[in-house]
Amino acid sequence: MGKGAPRISNDIRALRFARGEMTQQALADRIGVTRQTVNAIEGNKYSPSLEVAFRIARALELPLEKVFQYEED
Amino acid sequence: MDMSFKEKSLWVQLLGLLGVYAWYFATVLPAAAPSVMPQHVVLFAVAVGYLVAVQGAGHIVIAVFDPRDDTDERDRLIALKGAYAGSWVLAAGVFTALYAAIGTEGNFLFTHLLLASWVLSCLVEIAAQLYLYRHGT
Repeated sequence: MGKGAPRISNDIRALRFARGEMTQQALADRIGVTRQTVNAIEGNKYSPSLEVAFRIARALELPLEKVFQYEED
Repeated sequence: MDMSFKEKSLWVQLLGLLGVYAWYFATVLPAAAPSVMPQHVVLFAVAVGYLVAVQGAGHIVIAVFDPRDDTDERDRLIALKGAYAGSWVLAAGVFTALYAAIGTEGNFLFTHLLLASWVLSCLVEIAAQLYLYRHGT
């Protein structure tokens, strides 16, 4: 993150609901982070490491670029 | 408010440090002497005892209501950024204490500036972490 608006955004909240209303806690347990971290990622308050980003995509059974979007300046 | 175990733990540490060392400095500074006296050492030991007791009790209460004490990469990143912020305060305090040691008689001012710097650096470290948990890294 850093200065200005976040450049990495995501659709995790919508994708969780699309996958049988998966809870934040269920996703957190599957990817090995706390529920508060999933909440921070969804709110664009934290950009996860590449490893966690891949784990999220895998848990949602989607390619990485369907979950995360990188916005050019 | 939705807080993790780690964030609740930081609040316990912050309030414990603030309470105990506010009491310590409010008690010791009016009885300041050129050098540290035995009663100052006793008060310091009592303050450390209070701090251990307050933090131990606080963490037991947190653990009873929130047994999940997991940490992850975000906790580690926030801890590192907090430590970085606190380290500047500690470094500034150490040099201020050294300056005081050269310019004053006795060791009271030197030791208490060092102690105050350490307390302040811990408070800054914890406050920075609490800010990052709420407003993002």
